[in-house]
Amino acid sequence: MSDLSFDGYAPTWCPGCGDWGIRVGIKSALEQLGFDPSTLFISFDIGCSGNMNDFINGYAMHGLHGRSIPTAVGMKCAHHDMNTIVIGGDGGIYGEGGNHFLHACRGNHDITVIVHDNMVYGLTTGQVAPTAKKGFKSKSTPQGIIEVPVNPLALAITQGASFVAQGFAGDARSLIEIIKAAVTHKGFSLVNILQPCVTFNKINTYQYYLKNTYKLPEDYKSGDKKEAIAKSMEVHEEKYPLGILYREEKPVYHENIPQLEAPLVTRARFTDFEPFTSSFV
Amino acid sequence: MRFNWKIGGEAGFGIMTSGLVFSKIATRSGYHIFDYPEYPSLIRGGNNTYEVNVSDDEVHSPKWDIDLLVCLNKETYDLHKYRLHEKSMVVFDPEMFEPEKPFIKVPIGFTKIKKDEKIDQMMVNTIAVGASVALLGGELEVFEKIIHQQFDKKGKEVVDFNLRLAKIGFDEASKNSVQKQEILKKKDVVKTKMVVTGNEAFSLGTMAADCRYYAAYPMTPASTVLGALAAWQYKNKMVVRHPEDEISVINSALGASFAGVRSAVGTSGGGFALMTEALSYAGIAEIPIVVFLSMRSGPATGMPTWTEQGDLLFAVHGGHGEFPKIVLTPGDPEEMVELTLKGFDLADIYQTPVLIVSDKFLSESHKSAIKEVIDKKMNEHVIDRGKIVSDTKALPYLRFKHEEDGISEMLIPGKKGVFYQANSYEHIEDSHTTESGEERIIQVNKRNAKTNTYFKNHFEQPQIFGELNDAKTVLVSYGSNKGPILDAQKMFPDSSVAFIHFTHVYPMPQEPIKKLFKRCEGKRIIHIENNSHAQFAQLLRMQTGIDLKEKLLKYDGRPFWPEEIRDYIQGSKVQTDKKIQDNQEMIAPEMKEEKLDEIKSQQEQDLLSKLEIFSKDSD
Repeated sequence: MSDLSFDGYAPTWCPGCGDWGIRVGIKSALEQLGFDPSTLFISFDIGCSGNMNDFINGYAMHGLHGRSIPTAVGMKCAHHDMNTIVIGGDGGIYGEGGNHFLHACRGNHDITVIVHDNMVYGLTTGQVAPTAKKGFKSKSTPQGIIEVPVNPLALAITQGASFVAQGFAGDARSLIEIIKAAVTHKGFSLVNILQPCVTFNKINTYQYYLKNTYKLPEDYKSGDKKEAIAKSMEVHEEKYPLGILYREEKPVYHENIPQLEAPLVTRARFTDFEPFTSSFV
Repeated sequence: MRFNWKIGGEAGFGIMTSGLVFSKIATRSGYHIFDYPEYPSLIRGGNNTYEVNVSDDEVHSPKWDIDLLVCLNKETYDLHKYRLHEKSMVVFDPEMFEPEKPFIKVPIGFTKIKKDEKIDQMMVNTIAVGASVALLGGELEVFEKIIHQQFDKKGKEVVDFNLRLAKIGFDEASKNSVQKQEILKKKDVVKTKMVVTGNEAFSLGTMAADCRYYAAYPMTPASTVLGALAAWQYKNKMVVRHPEDEISVINSALGASFAGVRSAVGTSGGGFALMTEALSYAGIAEIPIVVFLSMRSGPATGMPTWTEQGDLLFAVHGGHGEFPKIVLTPGDPEEMVELTLKGFDLADIYQTPVLIVSDKFLSESHKSAIKEVIDKKMNEHVIDRGKIVSDTKALPYLRFKHEEDGISEMLIPGKKGVFYQANSYEHIEDSHTTESGEERIIQVNKRNAKTNTYFKNHFEQPQIFGELNDAKTVLVSYGSNKGPILDAQKMFPDSSVAFIHFTHVYPMPQEPIKKLFKRCEGKRIIHIENNSHAQFAQLLRMQTGIDLKEKLLKYDGRPFWPEEIRDYIQGSKVQTDKKIQDNQEMIAPEMKEEKLDEIKSQQEQDLLSKLEIFSKDSD
């Protein structure tokens, strides 16, 4: 395909789904940053969120459920001049791929992870997600989930992510700004997006989020890790801060690999084997 | 001449290092070697051994009889005396134990020297190797050169110290009245030899194939590939990573491969199990990937440091759904270099997973290989990336365009105005998701067409060793069994035994293989395999209908010894077993508890003296 537009096929999401707003946020951010689909690696997870693979264009991998982060890490290592974005859901990123998530934070890989956090599994018709509130009843937890929810913001901050933000699918205008800041940030950036699932989650609705979210004040200092952790803990009292909770500058993963001056894919072939073979004599 | 030198001691004694040093002394003195280490899944304690089969001509496997046994503890003697013969030499420490008759005894006072020289156990190895060189008529100078290469960067003091220990060992053994042999007598070295394992050969092949991204999670017996490539990466510019798990390993490698660089992963059975979902993704999204699978005794954790060919069918069938996959089984380090180079080409040409299957025996045994042969393979290899391109004129670009040979052009991402996806969902030619029955059939047929293209262009018939027409007995096998079988074949002076060695085990075309086996009609065909299910025999039957009835299977975690194969062919199946019995009857087992305690207290002393030195240094 050859095109300069990000618009792929018409989305197949349910009317009213938060994914629509998230797509507007991602697409507008990329356009406003002056990108076109051929300048971008996108790694899509599996789920309603990952189905954006056909609705947003780019050099993309639509891989396996939970594995979109490692795939993106590999892409970035091979061609670090390409901007690299992961688009997935709470199940893929925090559940099946939870291990990859925390290790990618540790590595400060220069990728942006955009998570659709709707607290349910939509594509498999409404089972509980790891971000669901304790006691949430679903097809797989008829008497309510026993586990407490994952706290993605606190997890990311404490494990070494250098940019941690939260957005709301119902507020596309703010979302655009957050995503722009995340994509231009050098290092691992997480954008957790609160998103109503109008079909399977009748509790965490647009009204619920309008009531329980609040924007971080203008004088909020995103460089203070302790403050950021304190803010991130508010979600347990059903208070959801929106905006950039935490941001710091530090060397990214590929900058710590001395052989990655030029992108791996473009460097010349190495052919001086003699020092290696002679070491076996 | 075949001479088997074996050293043994507790894990942590440095047995592995001294074994490799001995191998290099032999090759630098003009001989061929094949060596074989054994060790339990422990870091300290437990018995480690290392045996080196020294030969005038090329040698492919270990030797059953031990000709010289170097015992750094009594356990080594007790565990291995059943493989000694009357003319075997035994090096031992008279303060620890004394071997019974009728072996040739060579006492070396390791404990005394240790005390006199104030050295720790690790350094006793140097004395032992020095003594071995003297007993076998070798030159101390060859050993000294190796010491220089090993320690020069650590400073003159360390070098001199090691040189002195080597000489002490050499002199001690020289003083002994025992008749010296001419096993290591220095010959003119006509062709330089490398001492290389299957894993090292894979690592060299990987570098020469221009692989730029290698990821692995440590797992014996594949870990040494990760170690070698990680150490080399700053020189050869490969990116070598150790991610959080095998799932991340392979998915990141697929990401790198999608981005355009040759990528590979390495693991053993358990790690491969975690990788299979991603293998299936590589199948549908047509992403090249090379997987190095070094098998060990399973299932589950099994016997982690022992060998077995138990994962062949798993390798062939790994991954859900139907997709093409190529499985190669090299038999020795030379073949490993060759098939690794070819494997990377095949992964690119067919845009699908290629598995290079090894096992602990091939992965960790060293074989001497003529350096110029390996150099030639590496230097002269011309890289073939098939239809992978960095630019395209085909616009609109169709990543999964239907082609008769099953292979579409794969554009390395980056070209302006173009984009596509590596889609794990079924897709149409332009890579968008589809659930249409017609499109599904087109893509399935396209992927399946790769197999026929492979048969036409790249499948290789098994290699035949010996004269198939003259042979009365035909041995059939694959992978690492090649070595012991070749050496067993040589034990039959006439051309009565032929050997069919498979390296391209999957997929396999039916007709040419059937033709080959037609030539074996009326002959005794023995299938040899290092597992209990005869998996290759099953695979051969599945692909060609050929049913091999007579099977020699081994699954005790040990490789085949050529003598076992010879005995089986001769119908004296139990000879090596019987020999074990005979020897055990000949030698009354004797293991005194107090001696064990002594060994233990020696170790404690070592540790204490180390701590003492440490505390002095920090003062």
